[in-house]
Amino acid sequence: MTKKQKLFILAAAVLVFTFGVTGTAQAMHIMEGYLPAGFCIAWGVICLPFLFAGLRSIQKALAENRRVLPLIAMAGAFIFVISSLKIPSVTGSCSHMTGTGLGAILFGPASVSILGLIVLVFQALLLAHGGLTTLGANTFSMAIAGPFVSFGIYKLCQKGGVNRRLAVFLAAALGDLFTYCITAFQLAIAHNADTTMGGAFAKFLAVFAPTQIPLAVIEGILTVLIMAALETYAKPELRAAGFLKEEH
Amino acid sequence: MITIDRLCYNSKLRYVNAGEKFAFAMLTLAACVIGHSVPISCLILILTGILTVWKGGIPVSRYLRYLLVPLVFLLLSTLAIAVNVSAVPLDLFAVPVGKLYLTGSRASLFYALELLLTAMGSVSCLYFLSFSTPMPDILNVLRRLHCPRLVLELMLLIYRYIFVLFDIASAISTAQDSRLGNRNYKTSMKSFGAMISALFVRAMKKSGALYDAMESRCYDGTIRVLNETFPPKKREMALIAAAEILLYILVIWERV
Repeated sequence: MTKKQKLFILAAAVLVFTFGVTGTAQAMHIMEGYLPAGFCIAWGVICLPFLFAGLRSIQKALAENRRVLPLIAMAGAFIFVISSLKIPSVTGSCSHMTGTGLGAILFGPASVSILGLIVLVFQALLLAHGGLTTLGANTFSMAIAGPFVSFGIYKLCQKGGVNRRLAVFLAAALGDLFTYCITAFQLAIAHNADTTMGGAFAKFLAVFAPTQIPLAVIEGILTVLIMAALETYAKPELRAAGFLKEEH
Repeated sequence: MITIDRLCYNSKLRYVNAGEKFAFAMLTLAACVIGHSVPISCLILILTGILTVWKGGIPVSRYLRYLLVPLVFLLLSTLAIAVNVSAVPLDLFAVPVGKLYLTGSRASLFYALELLLTAMGSVSCLYFLSFSTPMPDILNVLRRLHCPRLVLELMLLIYRYIFVLFDIASAISTAQDSRLGNRNYKTSMKSFGAMISALFVRAMKKSGALYDAMESRCYDGTIRVLNETFPPKKREMALIAAAEILLYILVIWERV
């Protein structure tokens, strides 16, 4: 481990200890029934062009090489599994990665939008995280906004010649934080009874900060560790997944 | 592994026509979200609860534990709605902090309560579906509803591969545990990273093998599976229709 990684882990540990979060800290799925009907439909409609683009890009990749289909399916199953495995935590609380940052880096943001949608459906039906009415809102925050930011930051850092590990850390952690901000925003525009929308936004941000900020840091560190291991052991497989990315 | 998946295969409602269950769950869910009121939510919570536990034979303790899954989200966001920070105290309660007040109004407390019950009612609808209908049946219904074929194909493969990957992951974690891989926080972070990367390599290898296997069985772009179909029963459909009509009349009556 490098000094930088040790520092990151220390920072994460301090954060987690300070807030002392127990119980389940999920990636922030808006639960079933928590948004009014109008907002559910609106977020679904906003997602449509992205999903359509994702579908088209997968179809294009398939038309060129049918071998890609199981690869894409595997990628989806992989994202689902990493998002439902318990990650190590100091306080004994049970938290999960979102996995979208890693997914976006490995498979590209376009295919992650469709895979994210499918993963969210499975999470709602099999794990009871999120829901069907809030599927649109959750898809936007977790499968579209987060991955696009992660991928953008990763590419930007690569162009700017930033240290690779730092680039991966920033991509995963900031992608997570962006998802959390979007979710808080989605909640705030739907529910701002007593205050202004800004006030509600600040309140939702504040309430979820203790669970989400340490989670973003831990997710960043884990993604760095995973990418480091992959670059050491799995060059050919990375190329196969990268092939998937270039197609899109 | 995935408890809901195991429970729904044992549900007594499993062999009821999937379309009926799907339609009932979706219509009730929509009624709950549109209705957005305390009595309707309570009614739906009780109705789907009885159906899942009594008709479906899901153990009550399991069901209640699952109802508490979104608890953290629910508590935190309800807190954010009910409590305000402002310079003027509101009518329900006010705790002075420095110059400001942590305060709440009766209206927003009621709003939060209403939302909480709506969310619980909707979750119970979702659970009715997922505790009674296995995923392949749901995919079948989606196919009837003309969901894009590619998406369904992907869902089928992903559903299958989730379990394969879970098996690999749990075998790796057992191996890591037995070699003191989760001794302290540092090692457990390292082990987790190693596990995920090994999982990725295995997943990629498996996908190659999967394609070869499908190709050798004349895969031409669609996976054809035999579906067990259970025809809808008139009595069940009539009951569902009656329940939904009553529910929507109630929703409209509440709204007016």
